[in-house]
Amino acid sequence: MTVQTERPPSGPSDVRKADGGGTGGPRARAASRAGALAPYLLLLPAAAATVLLLGWPLVKDGLLSFQNLNMAQLIQHVTEWTGFDNYKEVLTGEDFWRVTLRSIIFTAVNVVLTMLVGGLIGLLLARLGRAMRFVLMIGLVLAWAMPVVAATTVYQWLFAERFGVVNWVLDKLGWHSMADFSWTGSQFSTFFVVTVLIVWMSVPFVAINLYAATTTIPGELYEAAALDGAGVWRSFTSVTLPFLRPFLYATTFLEIIWIFKAFVQVYTFNGGGPDRLTEILPVYAYIEGVGNQHYGMGAAIAVLTILILLGLTAYYLRIVLKQEEDEL
Amino acid sequence: MKRKLIAAIGIAGMMVSIAACGGDSDDGGDKKAGADGYAGETLTVWVMDGSSPDDWQADLAKEFEAKTKAKVKFEIQKWNGIQQKLTTALSEENPPDVFEIGNTQTPAYAKTGGLADLSDLKSEIGTDWSESLNKSAVFDGKQYAAPWFVVNRVVVYNKKIWADAGIKELPKTRDEFYNDLKTIGEKTDAEPIYLPGQNWYHFVGLVIGEGGELVKKDGDKYVSNLADPKVAAATETYKKFQALSKAPKDKDEATPQQGEIFSKGKVGSFIGMGWEGATAIATNPAIEKDLGYFTIPGPTADKPEGVFLGGSNLAVAAGSKKQDLAKEFLKLALSDKYEGALAKANGVIPNKEALQSNLKGNAAAEAAAPASGTGDTTPLIPEWAAVENDPNPIKTYLTAVMKGKSPAEAAKQVEGEFNKRLAQQQ
Repeated sequence: MTVQTERPPSGPSDVRKADGGGTGGPRARAASRAGALAPYLLLLPAAAATVLLLGWPLVKDGLLSFQNLNMAQLIQHVTEWTGFDNYKEVLTGEDFWRVTLRSIIFTAVNVVLTMLVGGLIGLLLARLGRAMRFVLMIGLVLAWAMPVVAATTVYQWLFAERFGVVNWVLDKLGWHSMADFSWTGSQFSTFFVVTVLIVWMSVPFVAINLYAATTTIPGELYEAAALDGAGVWRSFTSVTLPFLRPFLYATTFLEIIWIFKAFVQVYTFNGGGPDRLTEILPVYAYIEGVGNQHYGMGAAIAVLTILILLGLTAYYLRIVLKQEEDEL
Repeated sequence: MKRKLIAAIGIAGMMVSIAACGGDSDDGGDKKAGADGYAGETLTVWVMDGSSPDDWQADLAKEFEAKTKAKVKFEIQKWNGIQQKLTTALSEENPPDVFEIGNTQTPAYAKTGGLADLSDLKSEIGTDWSESLNKSAVFDGKQYAAPWFVVNRVVVYNKKIWADAGIKELPKTRDEFYNDLKTIGEKTDAEPIYLPGQNWYHFVGLVIGEGGELVKKDGDKYVSNLADPKVAAATETYKKFQALSKAPKDKDEATPQQGEIFSKGKVGSFIGMGWEGATAIATNPAIEKDLGYFTIPGPTADKPEGVFLGGSNLAVAAGSKKQDLAKEFLKLALSDKYEGALAKANGVIPNKEALQSNLKGNAAAEAAAPASGTGDTTPLIPEWAAVENDPNPIKTYLTAVMKGKSPAEAAKQVEGEFNKRLAQQQ
């Protein structure tokens, strides 16, 4: 961590300057009260939108999680408070813990694959010539821009049992047992396809982000490293990596959040099936809550999901908070 | 520092959550017809995809407007996910005034209080409704919906493929049916039957044919009865026929639509409803001349296979502000004229025995008729609706058996989920 504070100023620190100028600079100089209020006024629209679109549903969700809310209660607008009953039922059931473990493993595998592939492609982007880089960038941006449901539908077709091109190709390559293989038929094969889909869609963000980060490394540092006798590997670990580290942190934690809540891909591809074996936490919350019309229970699972996600990203939040303190 | 940037990206990324919403609203008063009839009002009617033809709706809307001066707006709904959509709609301030609801789903909704009591309508227009259709619409002794129609499955077959295989006479028993399908498999390059592993409506029919029950009473609650030997026998029959098909073992008959597969002309038969034959014709009009229907053969020639009587009722939302107008609509829609026209057009069994003459000449309906007398539904209990929510444990059970588990093992596998749904707090 300490290495980062010794970094020479570069691209992103300009952002900090502009940012710091808003809070520290004018207040010191300006005497008027209006001037001091300005930054808060500017924050207001964003804060209002957050409270309205995120805070309110979150509060509602919390309230629902303490209610017995099923078809009848919803239709007749009856509120039945049940205290911690929903939580008790969820936490003492074995399903929830199985799904939680599955979600964590699923997230870990996807994040590791995404970061590895994305990181390597990011470094490749930095080395490519102009034309090839342009072509690769276009490919990445297109994969990134693909709407999730559309992408999932395309994968459903690719991996369709009877008419899918993947089975057809495998069959032509001599793998005849794959001709009518049902990719949605087992837990592993479903997760395999969903993982390919998610990694494919997540790699562009990581790759482009890391490529952007490499452009902020001053060339002189490599020259200096070379003069000191550093080889390729040494200059990578001593120059490139320290620069990339904060970006790796940021993207890793973002990927954890995004993949942990990858509801659309999992649900659209196979509905959490077969036999509920590929339900991850958000899908589980949806199927218990909305699917089974057991809304209070679903809300409780959603609250627990948020808590687990906060737990998983606690380390990152700690860095962020600690550093906020450093800045003050 | 750069960390500040990371923080900014990070916080932006945190702006994600899972949230559910509930709604609050009050019920309004009931508007009565003024001197000018119901002029200016519009009645919203939800009907399911495919259950009533477009011109039936258009004629009905026209006559309704002439009679009451009110307009009708039909909104077409899909079966998939309909329960969630209906629950939400019924909780809102402006629910659909009249809606079609599956017969097996009716008791659950009757219990929620979302359906208006139609007992007076029953005594006015429903004294001769068939008992077999009406029982799903009655809950706790009250009439919560009006029976509309039921329909049962038949064998849809490709006459050309059957002729190519040298079959001259249609099968009369289950064994003959099986042997004919085997012959098709041997003598032609067609798939004898398209039967995916999760056509659970057909499976329910087989259970009914065996005289079995899907649930049983244990004290005051219902529990799974899949381990019953009669259910196991039905499953074995299903499996025997499914083995002749290349259809996926983990899909149902609607994904992909079996009618569309059949329309390509490389499938000898499938088990479906009359209108699924129409789907095939709509996909490929050339198939029409080869398409035929026959009753699903049962264990002996004098007893057709058991069938599931799928059907629909028409209900009025308890929260609708147009109760009187909604009842006016039901009186017209269920009148002999429109009920008869629906039976004629769609080949479905109408709600009065006297109207069954309309089925004459409709090949699908004539094939369906012999079995409908002994057909039945899934248990008509409010607990049942939760079972049909995805992932339906009966579908899971079927797939497990099709993939090689014994019926007893598969029954054990899904028992927990099945019982949980039957015991779900209401």
